[in-house]
Amino acid sequence: MNGNSRQQVIPPAHSSVKAGFVVYSPDSGKRELIILDEGELVAVDKQGGNRDIKFRMHPGDIVGVASLFEREPFRYTIEATEDSRITLISEECLESELKNIPIWLLATLRSLSVNTRLHKEAAHRTPVENTLMSLAEYCAHLESGVKYPVDTLTREFNWLTRIPPATIKADLKSLLRRNFIGLSKDGESLQLVVHNAMLLQIYSDYLYAREEGLVWEPLRLSLPQKRILVHLTTIDAGVEMEAPEWIRLLNERELPIDVAQWITLQDLGCFKEGLENKFRVDMKKIEYYLTALRYDSNLRGAV
Amino acid sequence: MLVKEGEYLFLEGDKGTSLVIVKSGMLVGMSKQLRQRHWRNFGPGSIIGEFSLLESKPREYTLRAAENSEVIFIEQSALQRELELKPGWFQSTLSFLANHCHIAEDNLKKSKIVQALPALLFLFSKHLNSSGSDNITLAELHKKMLVLNNTEFSETDKLLQLLEDLDILKVEGDIVRVPNLQIIPLLYEALRYRALNKQVSPDILSITEQLVLTSFVKAVQENGIAIRGNKVTVPTEILKTEAKKAMHGGLLTRRTIAPLLEASIVEATPAEGQSPTLDDTESFTADFYHVIDLLELNRIFPLLDKKLV
Repeated sequence: MNGNSRQQVIPPAHSSVKAGFVVYSPDSGKRELIILDEGELVAVDKQGGNRDIKFRMHPGDIVGVASLFEREPFRYTIEATEDSRITLISEECLESELKNIPIWLLATLRSLSVNTRLHKEAAHRTPVENTLMSLAEYCAHLESGVKYPVDTLTREFNWLTRIPPATIKADLKSLLRRNFIGLSKDGESLQLVVHNAMLLQIYSDYLYAREEGLVWEPLRLSLPQKRILVHLTTIDAGVEMEAPEWIRLLNERELPIDVAQWITLQDLGCFKEGLENKFRVDMKKIEYYLTALRYDSNLRGAV
Repeated sequence: MLVKEGEYLFLEGDKGTSLVIVKSGMLVGMSKQLRQRHWRNFGPGSIIGEFSLLESKPREYTLRAAENSEVIFIEQSALQRELELKPGWFQSTLSFLANHCHIAEDNLKKSKIVQALPALLFLFSKHLNSSGSDNITLAELHKKMLVLNNTEFSETDKLLQLLEDLDILKVEGDIVRVPNLQIIPLLYEALRYRALNKQVSPDILSITEQLVLTSFVKAVQENGIAIRGNKVTVPTEILKTEAKKAMHGGLLTRRTIAPLLEASIVEATPAEGQSPTLDDTESFTADFYHVIDLLELNRIFPLLDKKLV
């Protein structure tokens, strides 16, 4: 671990260059560190026939680190603007130096270099891990029954998430297999129809709960609670009552419910609290749960 | 050093000046910035705390032993001793690599924020449209951003702060409220149009067009012109007077107003084909609130680009 077995180090090359001398050209393909000891160097971008000075180097400055450690080609030409003295560290010289450092220092250098590369790659990749969940969430915001051109949707969704079109295509097939969407040809154009946008919202929520290790709410419902939900759809949405009245009403209709079960239904959002401790049925939430239960096999992919 | 299962080595944010090497066992790195499933495991050979060693940066993780483990701490004094034996360029190289890593990390953070903006506007505008309400709960927005774009809560909060600075929305405790229901959908559409068509959205107006519309609004407000439904009609003479003030003496011509007529943002009476010159035009009519929204969009749009970049 302490790297005491020192090996022979290949010394760096020192040289003096005249003003105008090209120290490094991108065409050379060389990978080396250039250290300016005296004088001045400039980094010039010569792409497209232009001559654009990117930066000036002063004694002590160094270039080429990324090309050696991160295999990232150095894009600029390095020229001397005045007579200068430089030190060149070749790949072999660097390697011999690295063989003489402790493993922990080598690991630190490598870690910095690897992390830089990973950060750069991540900046160009989609941040989305569960692409199917993301697509389900997107489609949940489309209007049910309306035909949308798949090409336009793919482009928009790709712009929103950077998920590659090939992955989007595969995920669309997955939604199609579960009968959440329909695809049809309209001339040359492929059209997508969302059968029931709420079902896609449910699917997205289901995948989210699975991914986060949460209990998915519709699965918390017991059989008597499910019967209560079905019954609640027959009640006028405007009816408002206090909790004991709701409990009494449901019990009178042979739907046994105690306080604990009432609290569970309230937790699940089946009732909305109004003024003066009165509650009314949240029909949208009830529809959500009943739809989830009805399409359970589609959600699990067992269709 | 031996660490027993469940023992903590340090907490996130603690002052750090050493590198940790895992010799055997397994450590887990937890962070408030990360959700549980993104906690990092460090097995044998892993190193933790490069920037604590090099730059005395606070600890990135709370580090706990997931099983009985053996670790080695490398202190800054050991690094110093090693660097003293090396040529000067070696230290410069090390500093360069550390700096480069910081830049790449910062760029990644910025790019994630920039990239997440359309997703936030998409979700917000769809919610406003479907619910008809002027607000969404922060918890719902956080969850939806995570589901759609894997955007961490802290990144969503940064975006909301940015939009709040531009007066597009207001975060009031657990609720995100918009003062104007139209701006977020308009902004989303302008960005979407630009991204998908590789050209500027027709809603993004030139300075002259904005000046004409500003004159239109001033003409209505300063002359007490009645708004019927959403429509308002401004006589040409009044518009010309207001335009002269707004355009610093510049004159309103048929040519200056033509793009707004073509885009159907304003309508001329008599209709365009029948009144080829401005003097033949009696008045101009527009949806007043749409004009206000367009001017607001055009105020925000360039600022948003600047803020994000």
